[in-house]
Parts: sequence; structure tokens; C-alpha cells
Amino acid sequence: MSVDQVSLFLALLAVVAELATVTALGLWIGGRFSPALHRLGRQAAEAVAPQALALAATVATVCLAGSLYFSEVAHFPPCHLCWLQRFCMYPLVPILWIAAWRRAGRVAPFAAAVAFVGACISTYHVALEHHPEWESSVCDPKNPCTLIWVKRLGYLTIPTMALSGFALIITLLVVSGAARAHPSEPSDLDRSDAHGHH
Amino acid sequence: MATTKPKSGAVAAARKKGPPWLWLGVAGIVVVLLAVVLIFSGGSDKKKNSTAAGVEQTRPVTVTGTALPELPQSGDDPAVGKEIPEAKGASFDGTPVDIRNDGRPKLILFVAHWCPHCQREIPLLAGYLKSHPLPAGVDLYTVSTAVNQPRGNYPPSAWLAEKGWKAPVLADSDDGKAATAFGLNAFPYFVAVDGSGKVVARTTGEITTDQFAALAAKTLGNR
Repeated sequence: MSVDQVSLFLALLAVVAELATVTALGLWIGGRFSPALHRLGRQAAEAVAPQALALAATVATVCLAGSLYFSEVAHFPPCHLCWLQRFCMYPLVPILWIAAWRRAGRVAPFAAAVAFVGACISTYHVALEHHPEWESSVCDPKNPCTLIWVKRLGYLTIPTMALSGFALIITLLVVSGAARAHPSEPSDLDRSDAHGHH
Repeated sequence: MATTKPKSGAVAAARKKGPPWLWLGVAGIVVVLLAVVLIFSGGSDKKKNSTAAGVEQTRPVTVTGTALPELPQSGDDPAVGKEIPEAKGASFDGTPVDIRNDGRPKLILFVAHWCPHCQREIPLLAGYLKSHPLPAGVDLYTVSTAVNQPRGNYPPSAWLAEKGWKAPVLADSDDGKAATAFGLNAFPYFVAVDGSGKVVARTTGEITTDQFAALAAKTLGNR
């Protein structure tokens, strides 16, 4: 696959991550006003929660692979803000896989905090791409943070993709943490299961 | 009651693991996206740097004379008062462009297509120059350098044409001979030269139209 194809593939994955995050946010906010959305959100959370840590670990792994592809295969050298985002994303891979394997949901708040820091750096990096004057009025010929190596679908740059990844990881960790903090009430499935045998 | 326990256990186990379609769904999404990419996007990366929009984006440049020292980050500019080197080459379309000591004051602007500051400066100056031509006798040259396709906003020839840039453009060589000879250290980069071919000022970064006009005036000895 060419660099163009891989960057498009990663951009499409980022779109899926954004859609998942926005959907989760929509269900959470909508659930405060609509009982139907509340029920739907709860069912979705119950379905995802058992695998939320593994899903978050998968997202972090894809982000790690993507960033390594861009720097080591496509030869887009990471700027210092890219490195800061890597410092946040890379440790999440072993942490989340081990947590998923050992079902150590208590890790979720700490991992979410790391992901939140990464998301803040990504947000600043995205803003810098739109306002290069924030960094400086000149371009370092070598590797300025304002340089846009990849721009797919009109808006998906490398830090935008990273932000999408961090956002989905945070969402999954919130789902995992919420499920741990508030063990679910018997679901409709359980109720019908129980009723069917009385 | 005998059948209730195993079924409840199965439900509990299913809830503990999550629904089986979850990972199948994730895998399905990945496969669909891969198929979309393979079907709808090109298979090979474009050739770097050389030809685009039917013209060469970099061209050989011959430099003669002594190179200017690199512009320092701060302090006095050691190049002020020094004679500029000569850079002989061509524009994107092959039209010869020579930046030399021809007895005329000149402003030389070095830009990189991928630099966001250059991307803001060029349209600003292009608009300004439409209504405020340079003082009579002052020439404006542009050097397109540091061409690097993956860095975006490529090709520089199309970018400059799209922004209505009228000044002659020297397409720098792949290894940036002209930029090195003039002591470039950042983009955008301006070199103001007087009629005797000596540097009167150099500056980097985005400048306002007033600063640009002041730089042009310096080439005529108006400080």
C-alpha cells in the first residue's frame, strides 16, 4: 500500500472513532432528556463495557502503529508536539492491554487522565496548524510543528487523527469506569430471561 | 428451575464478555474501510519534487561569488554591506532567471510552498503589489526553494500562479543552492540589495505591507 492509501485508511479509521465518540456523547446528553435514549445508551454501554478496555487498547495500538508508520515508513519526522503526544499514547498500549487481560478496571481513571493530557496536546497542535503565528512568525526549515504533512478528507491531519484516537480511548475508559462504579441493573434481557422461567 | 440456572449462567457469562458481534463488527469496519481505500485511491505515491503541473518544480542553479553568512537569530547581520553571490537558473517553465549584480536595487524573497507563513505572506504581498508597485527601478525576485512534495501545498508553481504572484521565480535546485548561497535560515526570507549589489538588510518571518515597503525603500538607500 502506498503512503497515500495508508494515510487515507488511517483517516477513515479516525472518522469512525469520531463517529463513535460523538454517538456516545449524544446518547449520554440525550439520555438526560429522553428515557428512550437513556435506555439505548445504557444498553450500548452494557454491551461495550466488558470489552471497553480491550477496545481502548486496540485504539491505542492502532494509533501507535499509525504514528510509527508515518515516521519510519513515510519518513515524516515527528515534531516536538508529536513527540509529546507519543509520550501519552505509547504507554497506554501496554497499560490498557494488561488491564484488559487482568480485567483491572481500576486502571481506567489513570489511563483516561493520560489520554486527556494527550488530547489537550493534540488540540493545541491542531489549533497551531490553523494559527501558525502562535508558534512563531517564521518557519524552521527543518521541522516546524505548524507543518501539515497529511491532510485527508479536508481536515484530518496527523494531530487531528491523534485527537480522534485519544477521544475514543477516553470515551471507552469512561464507559469501562462507569460500568465498574455503577454495576448495571438487571437488563431487559435478564428480566425476560428470568420471567420466561417463572 | 433445573433449566434456569444454566441459562442464567450463560447470560451472565455473555454479559461478562460482551456480545459476540462486538469484535466481529470492529473487524467488519476495518475490512470495509480497507476495501474502500484499495478501490477508490491510487496505488502508488507520486514522484517527489521533480515534475508537476507539466513543469519542473526544481531546476539546476549555478552559484558564483561568495556565499552570504547565515542570518543570525539575533544581533547585527554580518552580511550587511557584503556583495551578493550570483544565482543563475530558470523558472518553473524554463525561462532563464538570473539574480545577479546588475546595478539595479532588488528585493529577493525566498519561499517554501509548505511553509504556512509563506502561504500567508504571498497572497498578502500579491494583493499589495497590485495597488502599490515597487518604487521605480527596484526589482523583485522570488526563489522557490525547499521543495518537498509530501509536505503539502504542492506544487509551488501552481500555488504561486493561483495566488497571482507576478514576480519572476527562480526554481531552486533540489539541494537548495540559491537558498544556501544567500544565507537562508528560516521562511519566508527577504534579502534587500542596493544598486551596487550589496546587502542592505535581511529579515525572516511574516512581515506587514508597511515593512515590505520599508524594505524596498532601503534598497534605494532610504532608511
